Amino acid sequence: MNSRIALAALLAVFPLAAAAQAGFAGKTVTIIVGYKPGGGYDATARLLARHLPDYIPGKPTVIVQNMPGGNSIIAANHMYNVAKPDGLTIGTFNRNLPIAQLTGVQGVKYDMRKFAWIGSAANETTILAIRAELPYRNFDELRKSKERIVIGSTGPGANTHDFPLLLKDLLGMNIKIVSGYSSSADIMLAVERKEVDGRAGSYTSLRPFIDRKLVRPMVRARSKDNALKDLPIDESFAPNPRAKAIMALRSAPEAIARPYVLPPGTPEAIVKTMREAFAKAIEDKALVAEADKAKMDLDYTSGEEAEKVLQEVLSQPKDIVDQFTKYIKFGD
Amino acid sequence: MLEAFLEGLGLVLQWKAFGFMLAGIFVGFWVGLLPGLGGATTLALMLPFIYNMQPVEAFAFLLGMHSVVATTGDITSILFGVPGEATTAAIILDGHAMAKKGEAGRALGAALASSLVGALIGAAALAVAIPIVRPLVLTFGSPELFMLAVVGLAFIAGLSSGGARGMLRGFLAGCLGLFLAMVGQDPQAGVARFTLDTMYLWQGLDLVPVLVGLFALPEIIELVVRGTSIAGDAPSGDISKGALQGVKDVFRHWWLTVRCGLIGTFIGITPGLGGAVAQWMAYGHAAQSARTAEERKKFGEGDVRGVLGPGAACNSKEGGALIPTIAFGVPGSTSMAILLGGFFLLGLVPGPDMLTKHLPVTFSLVWTIVLANIITVGACFLLLNRLTALTRIPGHLLVPVILVLVFIGSFTSNSSYADIVVTLIFGAVGYFMVLAGWPRAPLVLGLVLGKIAENYLYISMARYDFEWLTRPVVLVLLAIAIGVIAYPALQSWRGRTRG
Repeated sequence: MNSRIALAALLAVFPLAAAAQAGFAGKTVTIIVGYKPGGGYDATARLLARHLPDYIPGKPTVIVQNMPGGNSIIAANHMYNVAKPDGLTIGTFNRNLPIAQLTGVQGVKYDMRKFAWIGSAANETTILAIRAELPYRNFDELRKSKERIVIGSTGPGANTHDFPLLLKDLLGMNIKIVSGYSSSADIMLAVERKEVDGRAGSYTSLRPFIDRKLVRPMVRARSKDNALKDLPIDESFAPNPRAKAIMALRSAPEAIARPYVLPPGTPEAIVKTMREAFAKAIEDKALVAEADKAKMDLDYTSGEEAEKVLQEVLSQPKDIVDQFTKYIKFGD
Repeated sequence: MLEAFLEGLGLVLQWKAFGFMLAGIFVGFWVGLLPGLGGATTLALMLPFIYNMQPVEAFAFLLGMHSVVATTGDITSILFGVPGEATTAAIILDGHAMAKKGEAGRALGAALASSLVGALIGAAALAVAIPIVRPLVLTFGSPELFMLAVVGLAFIAGLSSGGARGMLRGFLAGCLGLFLAMVGQDPQAGVARFTLDTMYLWQGLDLVPVLVGLFALPEIIELVVRGTSIAGDAPSGDISKGALQGVKDVFRHWWLTVRCGLIGTFIGITPGLGGAVAQWMAYGHAAQSARTAEERKKFGEGDVRGVLGPGAACNSKEGGALIPTIAFGVPGSTSMAILLGGFFLLGLVPGPDMLTKHLPVTFSLVWTIVLANIITVGACFLLLNRLTALTRIPGHLLVPVILVLVFIGSFTSNSSYADIVVTLIFGAVGYFMVLAGWPRAPLVLGLVLGKIAENYLYISMARYDFEWLTRPVVLVLLAIAIGVIAYPALQSWRGRTRG
């Protein structure tokens, strides 16, 4: 009895520290996802929600809530302005939200640098893949080709669009981008029926079609993925530093492809607890087995590293930002 | 082939797989019945349960759930005029009108029987299409998809009431639909169109709040104004007799049901058209079957053909949608995209292998669709008396319950209050359209086809310039579109010369 009173007193004196130490027992942690159920962001959050409780002190219940709209700006605004910094609300959203902030998209009411970053659960690499039977043996041949190649895209702001756009405008490749396909799957079908010659997209989404020998990867953006280390990088063909900077800027958010944040002003202790929980949960054997089955590649990037990426993106000189804004529009 | 076909049946009939299928059906039954709670969302939520299942069990569970959603969604649509699913809105027009005339039993009988026939057609198409699936899907490029959308838009002519004034109203309602389809970020230049500076509209108008507002709210207002039960003073005949009558209607209009089933399958096969399109195309086709102008006027006032057309198409499209998912690993709808995730989870790679090495699994999918639909339709017939009794409950008791369901339903689409606002706005639009005698179907057709038409036209032009206009399938579809538009005019002309 006495010890309980003592504990209560302790809780009253150090509410935040106690919450982090005595844990989240009996509490419910909500992960807010900026998309509807069914996509990669949602699937990752639900996978984490099943395994995170084992690694957060006090084993709280972790649930997922979808808050779609505005390419997930709505969810980010909510995390920034409404959610309480008590560790009970975690947000995950579109990796390109820093780009939206950089290019001054209307409706942005957050500063990415001020979130308490837990980190990222995965990184992605954008690649360009073309139909396997096309005669180009390597990227150099493709790059110098006189023949026009047709690339399908879902629309500006998506990596299916922006990556080939930079190859075309900055490397001067003979590419025609045909946009308006309803999904990347839809472009894949257009590749099958030879309506387009290829598409760009994340390596994970293209991998089944590469394995099936429908398409061949030709070039990639900068990445940490070891499986792709033999594929040439777009930046290395950049004719000048400005072009290189623009390409680097486009690919930078891919290092934090599944961002997870806490509201600004979350106490250090809670941030530390969550960072540790994420780092361990992503290594969890059961989680890894499930992720492998679902063909998801999870890889923890720490909160500190995520903050570094954001510094890089958001501290670009004005002339680079102006140039960048000409090419890249924020989108899905 | 036959061996694999029977092996597939054997796989589904294993007690474990069968048990999971029943569990799936149970979940799907409620998901379909409750408005707003959509099939795709539920599939995403159920995905974690399949980690420890065998492939056949998992698909019996997921597909069993998925294939009954449309069937029970029809029930909500008919009884209350509230779309149980975004894919079951078209059946409201005539189904709910029949319920108001005291013919709920007949409407439900027709909807259930046509759903079953549709599901069987879709499953049969899936089974038959397996050898020819690749050339079939690859024939339809972007130009052909654009023309398919044009054929769909041409049905507006058939969905408008006769006479110059009726045609004009239908045409304008269709244009309003096309205009509403433009809302959101456009996929060519990335420009936000008509978003009223809100982020809610960036991704376009969500179909669920629009449909719920357009169809459910006017019915609720009318129910309150009348102050009676849904069926009002209409004589309540023998319900089982009515249901039997509905089943007979399906056989009486057998070829129409089959054609609508085929339309649904076909739209399912072509990815990118979306599930909401099938029912409206089928409804448009059903309305065309009216032989005289007077008969056409009866559509929307409770013609049973307006029930069995969408009923069949809605269920047959699932079998069709599985075809590209299995054969190419390319999903034709959101639900199929989630199901595709299920394939990966189970270590199966969709693609040509599914048609050779894993053929029994593929056939087990066909059998799951067949069995799940037979079981659901059977269960619904047993519950028919209870269900139709709901149309006899006094309005003041029923309305609060329906209202709650309606608003929760539309709120779940984005979990945003803007969903409610959209519902209310389109409720007002729908109410005044009904009051003034403007048809709502063309508006919805314009809304669901607008984006498809725009995007595929753009792609066709960007990729082929004007060459696409000479592709044979495009020309055939153009001829069909012209036929669809000319048919009602021809009919009224014939009617006039006869009279």
